[in-house]
Amino acid sequence: MRLIVSDSPHLKANYDTSWMMRQVIYALIPTGVASLYFFRFRAGFIILNCVVTSMITEEIVMRIRKRPSTIKDGSALLTGLLLAFILPPSVKWYAVSLGAVFAILVGKHLFGGLGNNIFNPALVGRVFLVATYPKTMTTWIEPFSLQAVTEATPLALRKFDHILTPVSNLFLGNSSGCVGETSAILLILGGFYLLIRKVVDWRIPLSIIITVSLISSIFYVINPLNGSVSFHLFSGGLMLGTFFMATDPVTTPISKKGRFVFGLGCGILIMVIRYFSGLPEGVMYSILFMNACVPLIDRIFRPKSLGAIGVMISKRRKK
Amino acid sequence: MIHIEERKLPQHNIPIVTFFHPKKLYLHLSQHTGRSSKLVVNKGDLLEEASLIAERDGLISASLSSPVKGYFKDIVSFNHPSLKRGLAVVIEREESPNKIYSFNKKALFLKRDALLDKIQKAGIVGMGGAAFPTHVKLNPPKEIDTLIVNGCECEPYLSCDYRLMVEKSEEIFKGVEIICRIISPKRVLFALEENKLEAIKKFNSMISTKRIPLPNPKVIILSSRYPTGGEKQLIYVLTKRIVPLGGLPFDVGCLVHNVGTIFAIYEAVYYNKPLVERVVTFAGGALREPKNILLKLGTTIRELFDGGILSFKKEPLKIIYGGPMMGITLKGLDYPVMKGTTGILFLTKEEIDIREESVCIRCARCVDNCPMGLLPLEFVKKVKQKEYIYLNDLYIKDCIECGVCSFSCPAKIPLVHYIKIGKKYAVNR
Repeated sequence: MRLIVSDSPHLKANYDTSWMMRQVIYALIPTGVASLYFFRFRAGFIILNCVVTSMITEEIVMRIRKRPSTIKDGSALLTGLLLAFILPPSVKWYAVSLGAVFAILVGKHLFGGLGNNIFNPALVGRVFLVATYPKTMTTWIEPFSLQAVTEATPLALRKFDHILTPVSNLFLGNSSGCVGETSAILLILGGFYLLIRKVVDWRIPLSIIITVSLISSIFYVINPLNGSVSFHLFSGGLMLGTFFMATDPVTTPISKKGRFVFGLGCGILIMVIRYFSGLPEGVMYSILFMNACVPLIDRIFRPKSLGAIGVMISKRRKK
Repeated sequence: MIHIEERKLPQHNIPIVTFFHPKKLYLHLSQHTGRSSKLVVNKGDLLEEASLIAERDGLISASLSSPVKGYFKDIVSFNHPSLKRGLAVVIEREESPNKIYSFNKKALFLKRDALLDKIQKAGIVGMGGAAFPTHVKLNPPKEIDTLIVNGCECEPYLSCDYRLMVEKSEEIFKGVEIICRIISPKRVLFALEENKLEAIKKFNSMISTKRIPLPNPKVIILSSRYPTGGEKQLIYVLTKRIVPLGGLPFDVGCLVHNVGTIFAIYEAVYYNKPLVERVVTFAGGALREPKNILLKLGTTIRELFDGGILSFKKEPLKIIYGGPMMGITLKGLDYPVMKGTTGILFLTKEEIDIREESVCIRCARCVDNCPMGLLPLEFVKKVKQKEYIYLNDLYIKDCIECGVCSFSCPAKIPLVHYIKIGKKYAVNR
């Protein structure tokens, strides 16, 4: 009889890291299909390019670092997929590859690999591309147009031309924007799948949505041209950012209270950028900024140990 | 707090069987928290059943009586689940009918000190696993207003407490009445998990008949979440009182006793029977027939297999002493049953998780689920970086090692393992 000797506990939950990654990828499938429908082969090429480049980069980096291969855990695939979803459909293939390499190499591995990165790698990749190719990264095309008819995004139309895109277009995805962020309904569907399967925590999405709704409703009352609540919720990268970027466990606070604060901060920053800055959209910068605040949030909102609370209570009673 | 698959069937619904005929007994002198017992008999003596073998040494210690009539053969170093090796008394049983304990008519009129003395002499310790001497617990320096009867049994597989509650509910109530005479609480709460239907029914009918007078008795049904049965969690769930760091339940006016312990108290007071036997759950996928067995302390697991009481269906990959969440793995079958043994589990490859540890992704499931509100992932980080001086600032001593963090970790990090290392090295700054 050969027996294993180990420390307790001897039972473990049946999910693991790669299961979690897979669930997020499944949740993104409807959006991916929709992007193929709206932007045709352009979307297909970008997604394929991103995913393959990310996975190859991951494998090479892990070989250089002399660590076991982590291709199977799905984290590189997920980063690639998310990066593809936040790129404009007209972006050139070399820019896409470069962004994917940067996301994995700098965004993830320079910080120490999975679990140690401070910033969301996909967003790091996009920030790099925005800085490197400012023109192509802000050129948008109409859905279904194969000749690349340029058109401003709904948020840019609101900001610079005071034209409000109908919410139904935003909801279904028939508007210009990044590859995977135009269809709000499918992103919400994916987000709910993740919440139901308990892959992501509900606190961050909820607090972002509540914050954005509150702020935008105040501004809508002041001037309807500022855009309604549903316009702000369903436009730009808000739904993708809320359900898939801001919920990335690695780059978010560990305490429940901290997660509420994280969502609150994201929501406020998004609306501040949308209303008061020179940029039409601010989901990416908001999440990255809040990522940087995570150590601070973790420190301030550290959960209290039950025993320490007990000590506090008994001291108070003595007084 | 988390929900874990219970896996309590079929042993949950099978009546307790007895096994009183071991050939050889190995009685450890250290079966409890505190100092080892001091031997009072000599090698070669013929020991009567229930005669004293070793007495308590100091306040936090417990005495030990002979479970059978037999010869004191030797004192050897024998396998011990938590100490690895420990001194054990070897007794060879004489073939003779089991002792019949006679009812003690005076039991109803005994006063506090006499009762405490009886419990101390019987060598009763907490039978839920921790094995803390009961006479110490029953003599708290502060007033107790709430007595909690712990019938949660929240660990998967285990069902010895449930069977005891179903089959000996009247005895348990009489035991509770004895404790009430000692500490005179204002109320008695019976805490049971919702999956213990039969026991809930029995306890409720016992309360409604009022045959055994108790101060404000009440059955409280808890949802079956792990670790509700932990002392501090139970107190918090039932009374919303929080035991301070480094404190004990009496600091908040509570006393928690396991139903097994209460049954032992009943037997000690009404029948002058020392703690010489207990119910142990034998379960797991490797066994042909999982059972709850009432057996003599010191019986080795091997004897149960040799005697045909238990048999293997499959090869076990882990043998666990205790529950699957907090139990200790054994290296073989040559381990004796002790006072704090709740179960021995034989788990197959399909039942345990042997996936390898990967990197922490900070998902914070360990933080969200920790019943003590700690930061398990930070403990692991500090232990891995050998920064032991920060551990006490994170209240590592508050950890009850329930295993919820390791259970819920998607990266399969054995957090409890790191925490145990951390506790050894943690120093005050």
